[in-house]
Amino acid sequence: MIAERARWRVIDFGPRTAAQYVATNRAILEARQQGLAPNTLSFLSFSEPAALVGFHQSVDQELRRDYCQAHGITIQRRVSGGGALYVDSTVVGWELYLDRRTIGSSDMLDIARRICETAARGIRSLGVDARFRPRNDIEVGGRKIAGTGGTYDGDVFLYHGSLLVDFDVERMLRVLKIPAEKLQDKAIASARERVANLKELLGEAPPMERVLGVMAQAFSEEFGVDFERADALSPAEDDKFRAALAEVETSEWVEQVSRPAAEAPMLEGVHRSPGGLLRVSLAVDLAKERIKQAWFTGDFFVNPRRMVVDLEAALRDSSLPDYRATVNRFFDGYPAEMLLLRREDFVAAMACALQTLARGGDAASG
Amino acid sequence: MGAVRGCNIPDNLSYNVENNAWVRKDSDGTVTVGVTSYACSLAGEIVSYTPKKVGRSIEKDKSCATVESGKWVGPVKSPVAGEVVAVNDAVTGKPGLINKDPYGEGWIIRLKPANWDADSAALLSGAAAMSAFESKMQADGFKGC
Repeated sequence: MIAERARWRVIDFGPRTAAQYVATNRAILEARQQGLAPNTLSFLSFSEPAALVGFHQSVDQELRRDYCQAHGITIQRRVSGGGALYVDSTVVGWELYLDRRTIGSSDMLDIARRICETAARGIRSLGVDARFRPRNDIEVGGRKIAGTGGTYDGDVFLYHGSLLVDFDVERMLRVLKIPAEKLQDKAIASARERVANLKELLGEAPPMERVLGVMAQAFSEEFGVDFERADALSPAEDDKFRAALAEVETSEWVEQVSRPAAEAPMLEGVHRSPGGLLRVSLAVDLAKERIKQAWFTGDFFVNPRRMVVDLEAALRDSSLPDYRATVNRFFDGYPAEMLLLRREDFVAAMACALQTLARGGDAASG
Repeated sequence: MGAVRGCNIPDNLSYNVENNAWVRKDSDGTVTVGVTSYACSLAGEIVSYTPKKVGRSIEKDKSCATVESGKWVGPVKSPVAGEVVAVNDAVTGKPGLINKDPYGEGWIIRLKPANWDADSAALLSGAAAMSAFESKMQADGFKGC
């Protein structure tokens, strides 16, 4: 006897505004939670340039509000966790609304890993070597090509990602407060070493239909399901969508987490050693004692070159007081050739950046 | 102190097993709400905590706080209805306290209960709670804390 394959719904929403995107997330998740929607894979792109902060982030800590306002970039708050993103019409959003028990695990890190590995496999079939990098990135040669995050309510969850088909790195640097800001003219080159997009890797942007097709194929194979196409939300979802849209279009939604920019400074450190000159920019959250992001540059030799970005990934959203342990744990598990450079040099550069806190002076708050 | 698959389930608390939350009535008549060590194990390290504000009314089984771990955002659902009388400022600064001490310093919210007798009647404690957690862990495919 052949067991019948489960059927999930697939919807391609096409271009949506940032507020429509967030309202759609809320509507389908709520409907799924109430048993009013099936397991769903959906896709969308963005009809306007937008900066999306993570659910718990503060706009003033993450974004350059003045630049966004001056350049017509919509600011919106996601329902999912993680960091701020810049998106526009060249970014594809893919989203899964599922029951945890469909996945056969309730461990949230397991669920994220399995979905990201599947998405990476789909992207690989476009001809780029996409891989999952813990905890939540999909990367190609160490360069991030998709970020992901999720939200859950009981046994139901939404997990989604943004895939860069083409991308304006310079715009991203102006919109987001990321620790490249003091690298000035080198910032763009430095950002290109950390962010990739399909157009650049393949020579031309693949047609959207093809991108959506390979992603759906990968999820279909991984979960043993067939997709049934729908063109729009159901009436029950549409009611929820309208209610959610009215709420997320307000400043109360967008500004609901508001923390002073001074609590999230950008710190710079420089360390000279026989192995070379090492600079680090650290974005830190002083109230929560976290490293939000670290960015190493300088004149030094490491092999493989991607070791630096992998170290940065290990430091992302990590404990600030435990940074030495994080660096040590990374090198304990990472085969790297560094000639005269040592792991202690990375620690020393970070220590130098953190000393600016004690001096209370040079730490620019962005 | 009881335990199920290595997860502490203290026997002096009342649980909504489905929502992985506990509640305790304190001597001043208020109640303290928190999440279980099982919930912490599923979530991983918690890095953000946003409670509902003091003075807000919370319905039974509705969100009284939002937490984030590993890029996942999720609600903490209060086992009982009530008005928020205190939030945990120590956890705002160090959300990892929830993982470290979910039944103590890592409490989520304090409420003035609205219908304690009715709301608490459906909650489980002691052996009944442990058995319900065992069933939930089985259904979730959970190996242990």
